[in-house]
Amino acid sequence: MAWLSRPLTLVGLVILAHGCYSAYEHTLLASTSVQHPASPSAAALPLDIYIETIVATFLICLGLVLGTGAPEPIQWHTWAGKIEREADKRSSLAGNADKEALGNPYNALEARSGFINIHKLHGDFVKYTQQLSK
Amino acid sequence: MSEQELQINPIVQDSVIHNTKTLTNLHSLTASLFGVSAGILGLESYYGFLYYIALSITTSLLFYVFKLAPGSLAEGRSVLDTGRYYKGALELWTSPIFNGLPGFILTWTLFYGLVRA
Repeated sequence: MAWLSRPLTLVGLVILAHGCYSAYEHTLLASTSVQHPASPSAAALPLDIYIETIVATFLICLGLVLGTGAPEPIQWHTWAGKIEREADKRSSLAGNADKEALGNPYNALEARSGFINIHKLHGDFVKYTQQLSK
Repeated sequence: MSEQELQINPIVQDSVIHNTKTLTNLHSLTASLFGVSAGILGLESYYGFLYYIALSITTSLLFYVFKLAPGSLAEGRSVLDTGRYYKGALELWTSPIFNGLPGFILTWTLFYGLVRA
């Protein structure tokens, strides 16, 4: 939908400029010409200028709304889930390059070297060497 | 929101700032536009302000429909619930009105003067 933003805004601006010009010409004409007793008062604009201006305003407004950036969720868990999902999508698209860099904001905590179970790793290594020697 | 609640469900300040900025930018742009249109229509006194308030709420509604509703409804929230993106509902519906008011009055008086002078 974002591509619609600029054309809508442009079209709206053109219509608004035309409405502005029409209103200006109308008031100028009404103020200089001799007032006919049966004609409506000079202050009242014709209905089509009203409609034109309001439609143009609505079009530009719609265009500007469509052109704004997407909002971000403010709850931490929603936001973190969203960026992690996006990182998954991006890494599946572009190889498995730097998935760790984006994604989970707690990655630094989860990969802390202080929590490595060195005894378990040693046991695994011993099993592995025994398997190799068999 | 209480301290304890904030500890359990932390809030991302960056997102809050980003959302507020997006909404403020949109409303300052549209407020000047509404001023132009109110000036062309030649609105005076209360009608101008009513026109501005009505259009400003319409803008917020459009913003909700096109930008907030897809994510919000997908999360299972009820219609017009903005809790996913804003701390309070008033942040979306009323505070932008006061942000854009000076810009509106500026362009309103300018275009009123240009067209009606």
